[in-house]
Amino acid sequence: MDAQEEAVTKHTATLSQVLISFLKIGGSAFGGSTQALVFRETVERRHWMTDQQFLAGQAIAQVLPGANPVNLALYVGLKVRGGLGAIAAVMGMIAPAFCIILVMGFAYRELSGLSATHFVLGGVAAAGVGATLAMGFKMVRKMPRKIWPAVIALAVFGAIGLFRMPMIPVVLIAVPLSIAAAYFDARRTP
Amino acid sequence: MDNRLLGLLVVFAPLSLLSFGGGQAIVADMQYQMVDVHGYLSNQQFSDLFAVSRAAPGPSTLIAALIGYQVAGIWGALFSCVAVFLPSSLLVYGIASWWQKHRVSPMKNAVERGLAPVAIGLIFAGALAVIRAAHVGPLELATLALCCGLFYFTKVGSYTIVFSVAAAFFVIHMVV
Repeated sequence: MDAQEEAVTKHTATLSQVLISFLKIGGSAFGGSTQALVFRETVERRHWMTDQQFLAGQAIAQVLPGANPVNLALYVGLKVRGGLGAIAAVMGMIAPAFCIILVMGFAYRELSGLSATHFVLGGVAAAGVGATLAMGFKMVRKMPRKIWPAVIALAVFGAIGLFRMPMIPVVLIAVPLSIAAAYFDARRTP
Repeated sequence: MDNRLLGLLVVFAPLSLLSFGGGQAIVADMQYQMVDVHGYLSNQQFSDLFAVSRAAPGPSTLIAALIGYQVAGIWGALFSCVAVFLPSSLLVYGIASWWQKHRVSPMKNAVERGLAPVAIGLIFAGALAVIRAAHVGPLELATLALCCGLFYFTKVGSYTIVFSVAAAFFVIHMVV
């Protein structure tokens, strides 16, 4: 981190502030709104990090495996308060949603004997698949118009989706191939 | 240790490291492992739980906690939650520490752009897995297409959409 960034951010976060901030976000983040809430809380309200630092954290959170909001919380917590901050931020992000989903799981157990439950959940699942597909199509739109990303995406989809091959070996083969393709592609067309 | 708790750990911990882009990416393998390999859930239950997880706040990866609760109660939920979040979090922890010290390199760019197509393939495979697990009739197919369009083209909140669909299906079930 350079001196300018150091001057902009105020490193005055306490562990309990980190925990409370992320409990608030974790309890109120619905749908895709999480990153916006984290930005507002940590950059705009508390000035824990700069825009640039936040964007770098967002990129890491997206690229690496794991839930984006949880990864982002970890990055911010680590930045402002070290290892303990990371733990506090992740706990804060997960705990409220975990409690809510337990209540919903309990409700599902109690109501799963009713035919209405399955019918309504069938509709919600269809909506959920619609959301998943929309996300996939948005990512497709952002892809460079080249052959190698299309081949990799189709191969992964075909192997796991159509031929039902186990995911771990497929991903372990596809990821290095894809990174190598991206690397040599960038070298060829700078 | 209870066999089911161990089974949940063995399924979710490796998937944690493969959940590029979040829980959506590992839905296909969760369905395969839980229904076909271990027989912990029926297809109907899996599709129901997927729907419940879509209606809940927080990261979609929490579907693991929901499955864990259904399979082995509260301890199942806790074990699954830790198993699905801890490995990826440790990885992010290590890389974030490294990242906060280093500048952008061509390799870093290549990793970023190379992971995207894999994530896309996984996302579509996950969608197909849920379609297979659920009984998709014409009504569900129409709902799917409509919601896909709404999510793609509009900024309508996902909770508005999900709860509208739930309400509409409830009314349809009562009337028909």
